[in-house]
Amino acid sequence: MLEHVFLLPFLIGVIVMFLPAQYGRAGLIIAAALHLGLTLMGWMGKLSPVTTGYFSTAPEGMLVLLVTSFIFMLIAIYTLSYLRETELRNEPVFIGCMLLFLATMSMVALADHIIVLWVAIEATTLVSAPLILLSHSKAALEATWKYVMICSVGIALALLGSFFIVLSMDLGGVRVPLTFTSLNTVAKSLDPVWLKAGFIFVMIGYGTKMGLAPMHTWLPDAHSQAPSPASALLSGVLLNCAFLGVYKVHTLMVNAGLGSYSSNVLMGFGLLSMFIAGVFIRNQHDYKRMLGYSSIENMGIIAFGIGVGGLASYGAMLHLIHHSLIKSSLFLSAGNIMLAYGTKLVNKVGKMPSFLPKTFGVFFAGFVGISGFPPFGMFLSEVLIIIGAFRAGHYWGIGFFIFCLILIFAAASRLVMRMCFGDTEETIQVEENLMRVAPSFLLLLTSIVLCVWMPAALYDTIQNAIAMIGGAFNG
Amino acid sequence: MIHLTDVILSITILSVLLTLGSNRLMALVKIIALQGVLVSLTPLFMEHHDKLTGGILFLTPITVAIKGLVIPAFLFFAVKKASIRREIEPIISYHASLFAGLAMILVSAFIVDRLPLNLPGSHALLLITGITTLAAGLLLMMGRRKGITQVIGYLMLENGIYLIGTALAREVHTLHVLEFGILLDLLAGVMIMGIILTNINRAFDDMDTSLLMRLKD
Repeated sequence: MLEHVFLLPFLIGVIVMFLPAQYGRAGLIIAAALHLGLTLMGWMGKLSPVTTGYFSTAPEGMLVLLVTSFIFMLIAIYTLSYLRETELRNEPVFIGCMLLFLATMSMVALADHIIVLWVAIEATTLVSAPLILLSHSKAALEATWKYVMICSVGIALALLGSFFIVLSMDLGGVRVPLTFTSLNTVAKSLDPVWLKAGFIFVMIGYGTKMGLAPMHTWLPDAHSQAPSPASALLSGVLLNCAFLGVYKVHTLMVNAGLGSYSSNVLMGFGLLSMFIAGVFIRNQHDYKRMLGYSSIENMGIIAFGIGVGGLASYGAMLHLIHHSLIKSSLFLSAGNIMLAYGTKLVNKVGKMPSFLPKTFGVFFAGFVGISGFPPFGMFLSEVLIIIGAFRAGHYWGIGFFIFCLILIFAAASRLVMRMCFGDTEETIQVEENLMRVAPSFLLLLTSIVLCVWMPAALYDTIQNAIAMIGGAFNG
Repeated sequence: MIHLTDVILSITILSVLLTLGSNRLMALVKIIALQGVLVSLTPLFMEHHDKLTGGILFLTPITVAIKGLVIPAFLFFAVKKASIRREIEPIISYHASLFAGLAMILVSAFIVDRLPLNLPGSHALLLITGITTLAAGLLLMMGRRKGITQVIGYLMLENGIYLIGTALAREVHTLHVLEFGILLDLLAGVMIMGIILTNINRAFDDMDTSLLMRLKD
């Protein structure tokens, strides 16, 4: 029963909230390991969902589930060491909410029913809010408030969009279960006007959660104020889940023959997000905010790639995997930097090669990766998106795409250079240790390995996921 | 039956206008409790529910209890704890909000009239009420400074969506498990918002969200 993949973390999460912190830490590792095991069993086809009307093993969902599970495992290891060095207001609740967060995100990944998907995505917001709230500062309070309010309103609009899709089914005179699997088979007979309206509302709703501009305003705040393991989860994993919501409805649109409409909307939002990120990343003083804007940029890239379709959609899926790996690695390194210097300000951090040699190595390598240089996977995915867009004839789009990439690289490299090689008056408060560097290192290593060796199962799953929107590696 | 629906919907619209014109937080909580009860009763009185199934008879009391009792009680204690009685200096004044509320009714009637849908009479009224409630909820969230009022705006937004869902997507009301899921999310959402607000109140000595100005670019 594949549903265990979210039921189990949920149960453990609820239990550890009432236990002392040391049991909670053990529970975190156990739950993460069990989750990874169940996910792998699901991938091997040994487990399948029992409640087929609500959950399914759609390829795109399985992809997100695997990424979630793998990254969560490494973040859990990091969290153990991180919690020893910081004082959170309520550690059992923090660990419990991390597990609930894992549970709700797995639920999003498996959801097939249009309303179950909504319920799960809204639940991710609610269980992740305490993660930000617990780093007790006034700024964290403000970030949590904005996060919960903006995302709740956005997701409420997505519910309205889901209702419109139900209406389009009604008007089309089809009676099938409200699952994406069955809706895709009857997509042609859905009422196009209401389906379009539904797509726009869902796009705005889940797009808010995904961090697409201009609905992105909560993202830099929440990602910078959360404790670093939580930031890594928010940025590396949660955004993928929201993307999944958009992607599923886009698939429906393509099957209904309205693909060009939704593709244009996705491309527009994608390019706008990249541009906004490029403009705002310039003036950042806070390195975690900088990483937050970089997430907005990368979500824009993914939206653009999916919008272009064909080879670019393969690139976008690849980008999703590598962005998750590299960005969570960067946030974990940022956590080390923050523990060591005790500040989030770029100008106060410096001399990293001599102060924090290991963290420096991983952080700098992560920056090289996120900027799209080889040997990291984002190089490959961005090149594929660019080639795909050329083939599809989006010359203006691709020009703007490259312009934004350069803009962001120029701005971010200035900040990162300042952080690594600048001068500092701070002294090191917490030394780095292996347990907090190894997870980031492993994440980056995975990104490199996936470039040269892509397991056949993974390749096939990506192919199956994009086949629904007419994309293919050879397309 | 149909007349009863009209009465319920009219009172809902009135409650929307009342929230826009009122500045006492306690009164707002009471109005939203009433509105919650009315909204959760509407599916019962729509004509396609002639045959009342066991599911709807089971779910309606729960919905009424959560929207009309649990959530308002939670807000009531949050207001009491914060010892804040009224909204001061709204961003959009009460008169302007009321006027906007009246305009919303007209605009939503116009929209519903132009929609390419063949709705039975009471459904059209339901849709008008839904859109008005939704829009007024958004207005309340943007136009007021106190966090509690914004949470009430969010509740109105959800009520509006619920009404629109009742009018347009009938199927949803037959999926009781899922409706319960949505309700649970709403409840948890309001509780989380309440907890954040209590923390904000402790840290800033006020629930004024315009004090939240630290994080910006």
